Amino acid sequence: MATDNTNAGGFGEVSRVRGIAFEYLSLGASVIGLVALGVLLVYVTIDAFDLANASPEWLLTYFLTLVVPFLAFCLYSASDPEVTRRALSALGGGLVAVAALFTAIETFVAPIPRLSWQLAYLFVVAMPVTAYLTYIGSRGRAGGVGFGLVGRLVGGAAIGLAVGTLFLVFDSLVWFLAYTLGVVPAAALYAYGRRRSVNWAMTAAVPVGLVGLVAAVFLRGVIVTYPSDLIIYVWTLAIPVAIAGGLVVADRGSRLAGAATGGVPLAVAVAGGFLAGGFGVPGPTALIVLVTVGVPTAVYLHRVIDEGDGLVGLALPVLLVGGALVGALVVEAWGVPAPDPWLDASFVTEAPSRTAEDAGLYPAIVGSVIIIALVAVLSFVLGVGTSVFLEEYTPESGILGSLTRLIQVNIANLAAIPSVVYGLLGLGLFANLLGFGLGTAVTASLTLSLLILPITIISAQEAIRSVPDDLRRGSDAMGATRWQTTKNVVLPEAFPGILTGTILALGRAIGETAPLIMIGAATTVFSAPASLFSRFSAMPMQIYAWANFPQAEFRYGVVAAGVITLLIILIGMNGTAILLRNRAERGS
Amino acid sequence: MTSSHDADSKGITRRQSLATLAGAGALAVAGCTQSTEDGGDGSDGGSDALSGSINIAGSSTVFPLMSAIAEDFAAEHDQVSVDISSTGSGGGFSNYFCVGDTDFNNASREIQPAEEELCAENDVEYVELVAATDALTVVVNPEADWIDHLTVEELAQIWESDPVQTWDEVRDEFPNEEIERFGAADTSGTYDYFIESVLEERGHTSDYQATEQDNSIAQGVTGSEYAIGYFGFAYYFQNPDQLKALGIDDGNGPVEPSLETASSGEYTPLSRPLFTYPSIESLGNDHVAEFARYFVTQTTNEDLIAGDVGYVPATEETQEEQMETLEDAIEQAQG
Repeated sequence: MATDNTNAGGFGEVSRVRGIAFEYLSLGASVIGLVALGVLLVYVTIDAFDLANASPEWLLTYFLTLVVPFLAFCLYSASDPEVTRRALSALGGGLVAVAALFTAIETFVAPIPRLSWQLAYLFVVAMPVTAYLTYIGSRGRAGGVGFGLVGRLVGGAAIGLAVGTLFLVFDSLVWFLAYTLGVVPAAALYAYGRRRSVNWAMTAAVPVGLVGLVAAVFLRGVIVTYPSDLIIYVWTLAIPVAIAGGLVVADRGSRLAGAATGGVPLAVAVAGGFLAGGFGVPGPTALIVLVTVGVPTAVYLHRVIDEGDGLVGLALPVLLVGGALVGALVVEAWGVPAPDPWLDASFVTEAPSRTAEDAGLYPAIVGSVIIIALVAVLSFVLGVGTSVFLEEYTPESGILGSLTRLIQVNIANLAAIPSVVYGLLGLGLFANLLGFGLGTAVTASLTLSLLILPITIISAQEAIRSVPDDLRRGSDAMGATRWQTTKNVVLPEAFPGILTGTILALGRAIGETAPLIMIGAATTVFSAPASLFSRFSAMPMQIYAWANFPQAEFRYGVVAAGVITLLIILIGMNGTAILLRNRAERGS
Repeated sequence: MTSSHDADSKGITRRQSLATLAGAGALAVAGCTQSTEDGGDGSDGGSDALSGSINIAGSSTVFPLMSAIAEDFAAEHDQVSVDISSTGSGGGFSNYFCVGDTDFNNASREIQPAEEELCAENDVEYVELVAATDALTVVVNPEADWIDHLTVEELAQIWESDPVQTWDEVRDEFPNEEIERFGAADTSGTYDYFIESVLEERGHTSDYQATEQDNSIAQGVTGSEYAIGYFGFAYYFQNPDQLKALGIDDGNGPVEPSLETASSGEYTPLSRPLFTYPSIESLGNDHVAEFARYFVTQTTNEDLIAGDVGYVPATEETQEEQMETLEDAIEQAQG
């Protein structure tokens, strides 16, 4: 009886109210944050592309020629009647709902600035539906092929541009010598040793390469005549990439196809490189972009055609480019008033200016890309090195163990130090004491690397710690040394986690302004940095300066265009890292 | 990548790579080479032999003017890279210029004794060039229809180190509301000039929102009907509808700030010269000297200085004097 009562009372009093309240509270918390960010991004996009001045006809034209065919493609790829029904009802119902709600708010509450119901429909309904259908479509065969192809085209172009940017500051002549004297002989020796199982050749590869690199640095000052830049890039970048692509295809069976997948893009790229000058495009950049786009695309095309499945997907790039062209033609032919976007080609290729129409971000983009590339390398090497040492090599008990724990606590604290303090450290240590110069790219990269180092260390440590001990013990039991265990077991397992941490940290580094101000980075420069020791400006610095210009066009249009550019580069960077991580996860 | 592998296993790749190499070789022989022998200092830059970098820091008031001039200069001389930082006049002198890190320092007031000493300690010699004239503008909220001018004495009462707290203490007909002040930070030359011309030994209040950025001051003043702020003329010139500029009465009746009243000298005591200070050592380099000359010639360019930026251009006379001063300094630097 007594037990019965307790039981009944105990269960009877469990109320669902608290649970439900908690659920909706957390929903509310996430909605507030996301909606605020969403509204901000929508307005920044509207300002950057001058969408407030886009006529409804203009929006409708591109919606019909670009968005609708794309959605149809995704639906075709998904070929699921249920998805089609849902998508169409969302698009249709959304249209009515948004138009009604928008008009109601405008009539009864207050006019909504710089937003029409058509734009609201695009952002609130069309964009989420497109994102959803892109996801669903990419899981279909045709969609997978189509997005794979578009991804290679866009990604290849992005990588090509990034590599081209890096060569603006790195001496291509040193690279030419280092490649010819160091990388080629070392690779040849290694390949020879591996093929013929000659151990000494494989062992000799590293020292030979190092000697070559050192020789290159010395010879740079001695040799005075070099091949032109274009030939250097053909020899050091285009040919190896083409050979690598060719080998990948050749491994699948066909040597002829291998030669073609390597050779055709190479020939196109070389021709493009020599002809590009005539169109006002720098030859080396054209060459690099054509190679990084052409070779992966050719390899991918070979695979898709070989498998013979989902070939329709290959039409996706044609569909997109065709849609954009048709849209442009219609707009031109019917004289539809088009918006005049702040973020256009000249914005990313030209220098800053006193007039908002001519203002560009090019020098700052180059500055940011170079800094972030260096920061990525430095913080990855330092961060992974530190975390491997702390996790794998330091003792867990005794005086040294306590010392390690003390260091751990301090690293965690370092992550919370304001970035201005790192700026002061950079100013004192790198700029003044070590003499890397005030506001140079080297000083900035070192400072930002230190800034994000605690985050990279901590996340890499977490990743290494999450590798199950069983794996280590198993490796030990096989007689592996600690170095072999770390190299073959721990690091490959932890790699995806390490990359995630580094991605987050790099995202913080690219947006930092305060430490750059402290180390004396310039607010405005008019030409891209020519070396690592020249003064530079970074995107957040220039955007901050524009935000304080007296002219309203700067504070709204140009700043928004800068923000969107920064976001696109950030997304590109993160996308690359996420692809690498997914590949590593699949590999393990 | 693995050339031996290719050569052994694939006839076509080998033939092809040989052909490519031969082609590259032929092109190289045919003149696709570059030489580093005499190109190191940018003498291959075409008609223009100037090259090098110019570092500029200093006043945020002079920043738009300097960047406009540097933009045109950089467009004409693509081997010269110009970088400009907006640090405030004082910040620029003490952190960069007087320790020898920058070639020019912009200032919205004359160099001060403490900075002169610092420069002397580090053997940094400089010359003073007048860039343009600015009309320091006192602004209030456009809704504030109860006020249209202040006397210099009233202005001083509002901003002195022990300031009045409400508007009716300034003038009886003003409302009994608290004064909200938005002004320049103490690293700014605008702050120094405001003290020098209005407050003198009465000191500047610390009870105000201090910032380097005109935009923040404008935002603050727009936000409240009882706010007051001051900054350079350019911001008001570009956004005349956003704020209301007050006339200033220096004993001869209220005068509104404008390009005309500033250049005619009526707008006293708040019209002020803007300066840039090139370091004499830097003027020893041809590209810096050429930039300084270009700067002085542009100070009379009305389209640029009045139209694009919003300051008062220099007169021909001033320009000639400035050019003489500059040429003397260049001669001293280059021997």
